[in-house]
Amino acid sequence: MLKILLVEDNELNRDMLSRRLLRKGYDVLIAKDGAEGAAIATSERPDLILMDMSLPVIDGWEATRTLKATEKTKSIPIIALTAHAMSTDRDKAIEAGCDDYDTKPIELSRLLGKMEALLESGGANTSQIRMNS
Amino acid sequence: MSVSTKPRTQSAPTAVPCDLLHDLRTPLNHILGYSELLMEQMRAAGHEEYVPHLEKIRKAGHDLLDLMNNNLTTEAE
Repeated sequence: MLKILLVEDNELNRDMLSRRLLRKGYDVLIAKDGAEGAAIATSERPDLILMDMSLPVIDGWEATRTLKATEKTKSIPIIALTAHAMSTDRDKAIEAGCDDYDTKPIELSRLLGKMEALLESGGANTSQIRMNS
Repeated sequence: MSVSTKPRTQSAPTAVPCDLLHDLRTPLNHILGYSELLMEQMRAAGHEEYVPHLEKIRKAGHDLLDLMNNNLTTEAE
């Protein structure tokens, strides 16, 4: 079963999206802030991370930069999730190292399509690294 | 009664603070997500009779999202 780490501080977003992913057959790990997300990503090595960007303790941009700079976690694909819909938000997420970006409200079929594309390729920006690891 | 989600004027969308647009989208994410989750759960449990009511909630949420997308923009853009 593929393991997805959901990093999300909003309780209802976390509850709703984790339930929907479980129904689609994913194993879901939960983190409530960026620091917890980086720690769980390092210890559990999920297949993919869904990262809210506006997070307490360490925000999603900083957590992504940390994970992408760490040998053990840099090949894990990360999809940024945010309720901000400006084009600069997408650019900022990609610059931090996110492999893709999606906006809230979540359209599940759209998000699943992005997840499946990254899972099949082993991470858009890092497929070679993942194949060799 | 159906709601028109088209732009209300010929002029540019109304600029609102970025945080306000973010704070409007967050509860809308809950409304849309939970209504779709409940529709899936009701279908799976054989309670098809509840699905049309949930579909009304989901559609109202999407109409509200379209209204926001067509009429509001952020001040920073």
